[in-house]
Amino acid sequence: MSLHIQNLHATLEDGTEILKGVTLEIPKGEVHAIMGPNGSGKSTLSKVIAGHEGYVVTGGAVTIDEEDIAEMSIDERSRAGIFLAFQYPSEVPGVSNANFIRAALQARLPKGEEIDAVAYYKSLYAKMDILEMDRKFTGRAVNEGFSGGEKKRNEILQMMMLEPKYCILDETDSGLDIDALKIVAKGVNAMRSPDRGMLLITHYQRLLDYIKPDHVHVMAEGRIVRSGGPELALELEKDGYEFLKEAALA
Amino acid sequence: MTTTLPNWFTARQEAAQKRYEATPAPKRGDETWRFSNLKQLDFAGFVRGADVSSANTADIVARSTGIEKTAAKFVFANDTLIHSETNIPAGVIALPLSEALVSHPELVEKHFMRQETRLGSAKFAAWHEAMVSNGLFVHTGDNVEIEDPIEVHHWISGQNTVIFPHTLVVTGTSSKVRVIDIFRSSDDITPGLAIAFNDLCAGKNSQLDYVAVQALNEVTRIIQIHETATARDASAKGFILNTGASWARNECLSRLEGPGSRSDMLSVSIPAREQEYDQRTFQHHVSEGAYSDLLFKNSLYDNSKTIFSGLIFVDEGAHHTDAYQTCRNLMMSDTCEANSMPGLEINADQVKCSHGSTSSQIHDDEIFYLRARGIDPVRARQLIARGFSVEVVERLAHEATEELVLRFVDDKFAHIAGGGA
Amino acid sequence: MSYEDTTALLDEETHDAINVDRTKGDFTFPERHKFDAGYGLSSKTVDYICDVKGEPQWVRDFRHKALAVFESKPMPTNWATEDLNNINFDEIRYYLSDGEKPKRSWDEVPPEVLETFERLGIPEQERAFLAGVEAQYDSEAAYSNMKEELTKQGVIFVNSTEGLKEHEEIFRPWFGKVIPTSDNKFSALNSAVFSGGSFIYIPKGVKLKQPLQAYFRINSENFGQFERTLIIADEGAEVMYMEGCTAPKFETATLHSAVVELVALKGAKIQYVTVQNWSSNVFNLVTKRGLAMEDAEVRWIDCNIGSRLTMKYPGVIMKGRRARGEVISIALANTGQHQDTGAKMIHAADETTSNIVSKSISVGEGRATYRGQVHIPKHLKGCKNNTECDALLINSNSRTDTYPAITVRGNRHATQHEASVSQVSEEMLFYMQQRGISEGAAMSLAVNGFINDLVREFPMEYSVELKRLIDLEMEGSVG
Repeated sequence: MSLHIQNLHATLEDGTEILKGVTLEIPKGEVHAIMGPNGSGKSTLSKVIAGHEGYVVTGGAVTIDEEDIAEMSIDERSRAGIFLAFQYPSEVPGVSNANFIRAALQARLPKGEEIDAVAYYKSLYAKMDILEMDRKFTGRAVNEGFSGGEKKRNEILQMMMLEPKYCILDETDSGLDIDALKIVAKGVNAMRSPDRGMLLITHYQRLLDYIKPDHVHVMAEGRIVRSGGPELALELEKDGYEFLKEAALA
Repeated sequence: MTTTLPNWFTARQEAAQKRYEATPAPKRGDETWRFSNLKQLDFAGFVRGADVSSANTADIVARSTGIEKTAAKFVFANDTLIHSETNIPAGVIALPLSEALVSHPELVEKHFMRQETRLGSAKFAAWHEAMVSNGLFVHTGDNVEIEDPIEVHHWISGQNTVIFPHTLVVTGTSSKVRVIDIFRSSDDITPGLAIAFNDLCAGKNSQLDYVAVQALNEVTRIIQIHETATARDASAKGFILNTGASWARNECLSRLEGPGSRSDMLSVSIPAREQEYDQRTFQHHVSEGAYSDLLFKNSLYDNSKTIFSGLIFVDEGAHHTDAYQTCRNLMMSDTCEANSMPGLEINADQVKCSHGSTSSQIHDDEIFYLRARGIDPVRARQLIARGFSVEVVERLAHEATEELVLRFVDDKFAHIAGGGA
Repeated sequence: MSYEDTTALLDEETHDAINVDRTKGDFTFPERHKFDAGYGLSSKTVDYICDVKGEPQWVRDFRHKALAVFESKPMPTNWATEDLNNINFDEIRYYLSDGEKPKRSWDEVPPEVLETFERLGIPEQERAFLAGVEAQYDSEAAYSNMKEELTKQGVIFVNSTEGLKEHEEIFRPWFGKVIPTSDNKFSALNSAVFSGGSFIYIPKGVKLKQPLQAYFRINSENFGQFERTLIIADEGAEVMYMEGCTAPKFETATLHSAVVELVALKGAKIQYVTVQNWSSNVFNLVTKRGLAMEDAEVRWIDCNIGSRLTMKYPGVIMKGRRARGEVISIALANTGQHQDTGAKMIHAADETTSNIVSKSISVGEGRATYRGQVHIPKHLKGCKNNTECDALLINSNSRTDTYPAITVRGNRHATQHEASVSQVSEEMLFYMQQRGISEGAAMSLAVNGFINDLVREFPMEYSVELKRLIDLEMEGSVG
């Protein structure tokens, strides 16, 4: 049981190739981290898995628990268990957080079945408490006027409410001060489970101090160029991505 | 030198005369004349001006001061060239229209009054076309940058004189030019009329800046039609200053014809006493991915009246348009009147458009702030009122031109009771 | 818990209680009219209506004069859409009724009329939250009733015919005064052939806690409905009036042309709420205006869904010092629909304040137009106007226009006008879909979000209904 990315190729609509054969398997119960310099294709990978229509998959496949998701729409992929915590979460003016998350949960129920409102709020408040979020938050419009930290916490709250099988966190640490980072990490760690796989996409080692990955991969030029254990992240932090140039020269 | 006008031109003039006679005059209920004072359109008794006597000519030329460094300077009195200086670089044509019609008839024909007049003055555009005899024709080649502005003075002289000044500027690819038209009357008491037309064709990636300073005497009327077309990546900037005339009508139409093109439409009007300014604008997004930005500011004194009617029109398929339109009225008296009709018609997708219009007075707290710095209240009001206009003038981004415009602005303030306070 | 969360919780119950949508409204019963003025409009039509209604001579004179004005006025196509020329006044029937007086009890209403209003949920709403209901079926009210305690307080809530006959002393001085017959071609038409609509009088100091409601139902094809409403709130009185409208989908065009006049005397407050949901064969050409005296307030809260063409610009004349006027308007234009709406604010006294907030949504090939007029004449001081109009475009074929006109004289006022046009961005849709929400539902959420702050201005029961109607309109508009 895993999120399996097999030799994935993807281009922009204009034909520019961004992903040039990415292979990666994230089994349930494991946390993987992808690191890499800017422009290496990390964020593109997350969007392609989520089904963003701005990219064209030109080769390879993504399966979750052996099921190919190629033909699934964005929302079907989400309901099949893929969650993407966005680097830049979109604002949805006029739609409250409570109604937004409720609509997402409602979309997962069979037709005719309705969410139990009392249970919903109980569950929502419990998760907001973990993330130290004010109750007023439920009435505010999604991400509108949120600080960077609030946006990222909101992403984690949605993740906790939707209980996905596989979580992809795209640069979740960017724009966070250390206190906010700790709170976000607390939420993510609370989600770690033998039934869930996680993929952290990050530019910095810092996040990995708080969320310990089982495996670390380095991405460059649209490919995974190195894989290893948590120690790889420390090495990158110390030596940077210089080795990529050496590798290229060699 | 032969002075035979090309056949196409005489034919156009004859056709225009017929069109002028056939087109009905604007009437009540016409949307393009809403709020307008139609009585101002009675032009009976106005005739083409006679040649100006040599004594007057010398006087007018002496008074035709603009900016210090120009690429060329032309002075017209009653549509007759009475003075010119030019220092135009090679590859550029900058001539009086009457000469260009003879020396470059095909070039003029290609661009002469090609756009449809759609903001209400079709009749008067036809009249202009039938009567026009002179003005400025500029045609730059590709990759020519003309550093200093081309400056043109249009004077009206003599009782009930009508002039038909024309400005046609065509820029080649990646070239750059700035033209300044200054409209004035030879004295303060003789009624006159100007039916002016200017046509700006900004070629690919070129930059075309145009400034019209209207400082006619306050018994003269003017209709000015401004038409601008921008090709791919071109940038056109049009600025109008109204300080003179008893009644002025401006119709400004910008056609954004190429992606990446930009049109800035700017205006400062400072009506006082019984002056009326009637401005109609049209931002026509024909191409996708173009940008237009309009900022018109009016400072109204005494019993003056302004009308602003603006429309952003986005054609079908002109996606990714960015268009903005702002009209601000500063009400400086208890009897002035401002009418604003900011409009939008959007037929495309992924469009960002907005318009805003405000009418307000100088706020007490602004005055208080200046007084707290030791400035007396009259001076404080003068400063704030001037600052209101300066914000638009600064968009010209050319120091000498800004200074010229501000000279006329300050001259107007000096002729308003309380110095514009 | 925020207001919105409460709405979410109530959603389920209210859903069933107010089950009105256009599919629900799209049914018709066979006509059983005792009185039919026939096709076309002439002075005979006017006399026929007067005779059937047994009206006094002054009303007959009023109607004939209005007919002459109607005939003399051209179609306003110099500024409005040419589609108006497609109205064929000769193919319309101007008066249809079964000759019965409005009933005070639903039990006495003819069965098919009762079934109509039951299917539209009116009797249930009346029990749930209304102080009084008038239900109009074609030209005349079939049902009209009000809570007894209000009658005791002197509140009058009757149809216009009863108003002009039984309460002439209150009715006549204001009738046609806020909107003169000659205001426009369609106010003249209404003045010539009006029938039905409400006359309401709220005595001094009486504040109604629950709203009064009228429901206008067109049942017959080729029919024109011309109700006439006059609401007078005496000094310090307060009332909220709500109207709903539906018609079945016919092959041919149907005309609805109402005139609504509101009079808020010193310190009074009138709120007029409309949720119209016309089928898209209806020409809906309505003139609505209120007069606000000293310290009085008139608010128009207006939602326009459906119809082939709606032209409606509710106005307020602020005639007394410190009077307030407000127009809150939502318009949704789907394919085949043109919502041409706006507001008129006439400041006629010092320190008067007006506010206009208009939001429109154009879907498919729909077209939304805003027209506004704000007028602040000279010799006044301290007047304020704020106008905001925002348009949302959903498809590349939709269209939106904005044509405001603002006249300010003098330097003691403040006006501001802002308008914007935007789209639901692809990135926003991607974000919502990534949470498992389908494209259609995401679009609905975005649209509801766009108008959310205005929906709050509607009474709770209507705001729930409104959201649902918008969801229905958005279904099938994507993909």
